[in-house]
Amino acid sequence: MDHSTESGAQVRVTFTTQEEDIQLDESKRQLLVPADIRRYGLSRILNSESMLDTNSIPFDFLVNGSFLRGSLEEYLNANGLSLETNITLQYVRSLIPPTYEASF
Amino acid sequence: AIHLADDADKPPRPLRDFNEALNMWTTFQTKTQSLSMSLSSQLRLILTPSQSTKLSGSFRTGKRLNIKKIIPYIASSYKRDKIWMRRAIPTKRSYQILLCVDDSQSMGDTLNNSGSAGRLALESLVMTSRALTMLEVGQVGVLGFGTDVFVAHRLTDPFASHDAGARVLQQFTFKQEGTDMVNLLRRTIDHFRDARLTSASQGGEDLWQLALILSDGLVQSKDHARLRPLLREAMEQRVMVVFIVMDDARDAQGNAKKGSQSVLDLKEARFGSDGMPVIHRYLDSFPFQYYLIVHHLDDLPGALAGLLRSWFSEVQGS
Ligand SMILES: [Mg+2]
Repeated sequence: MDHSTESGAQVRVTFTTQEEDIQLDESKRQLLVPADIRRYGLSRILNSESMLDTNSIPFDFLVNGSFLRGSLEEYLNANGLSLETNITLQYVRSLIPPTYEASF
Repeated sequence: AIHLADDADKPPRPLRDFNEALNMWTTFQTKTQSLSMSLSSQLRLILTPSQSTKLSGSFRTGKRLNIKKIIPYIASSYKRDKIWMRRAIPTKRSYQILLCVDDSQSMGDTLNNSGSAGRLALESLVMTSRALTMLEVGQVGVLGFGTDVFVAHRLTDPFASHDAGARVLQQFTFKQEGTDMVNLLRRTIDHFRDARLTSASQGGEDLWQLALILSDGLVQSKDHARLRPLLREAMEQRVMVVFIVMDDARDAQGNAKKGSQSVLDLKEARFGSDGMPVIHRYLDSFPFQYYLIVHHLDDLPGALAGLLRSWFSEVQGS
């Protein structure tokens, strides 16, 4: 299977969360995003005006029970999945306070 | 030459069990019988040209004299004697129609997930192919596409039996790991070019070529720009391309079904040069000029007939 990044490849994601105060409108839960996107990019999208319109809440993302490390494309590759897959991303407030993030 | 003959060097595509496919065909045909008949009778009005009542042309014998030809007739010492008009017989039209069905993974599993786009596409395939077969206006073929393009049913083969139908359904398992619409359009145009050459021997007929794409509409957005020149080429070759978006996310009343989202609402996120995310509606850059969104099979006959009607009046008016 070859998922080498031709720049501009997209993948469809579905956002879910268990936290009541940061639910997305039903119509905003599915989104096409760049396949090379990582936690930080996803977090920026969620915070943006057309999504949650929140002030820079850092988010972490659970995919299939574990935290997303690396890009979505790397996740797909590692699991033998194609770009046709609709990835369910559960977002949670990051446990790491944003001020500490620079030192990691 | 047939470009789409199965390539010997490719691994064989997975096939659905024949009996399962036969069951599906029978079930779908029964379920869609009245829709097929409705589509067939609507298309009959659109696809078959009406009788012409005008007198025209220049012939040696005919029904009425063409007054404008009289003076040249006398001036030529009665040599230019094609001075009669006849009631014009409309040119018989024939059609080659390719149903192009999306076989990619995003279409979902047909049997276990009753709400998938794949199931809606196969039901639409059965309904539409039945309607076209009843019409007897020409040839009907089926292409499958995903990463590759394959011929599921040749234009030249009859589409009359349940067995033929089942053999088509067998080939759609929605396992392809990509949706290469650029490849599909390229191969469709080439396929029609070859098919036009082989049918030209029949002569005297006005051949129309129509591709109906049945898909969930999810194409990599970066391909949208690459599709435009191909769509222009298709138009220049007089191939009409209609994209039918299988959108099962709404019920017959147009209300959203739980857990699924309509392609109509689907957005895409990109990062601008300043690194800020920008969110657009996915369909805003969709390059197909003629497309329909079908939420429910019942919508399809009316929507397709309406689109073809307006297209025919456009091409005939120009
Ligand atoms: Mg697809």
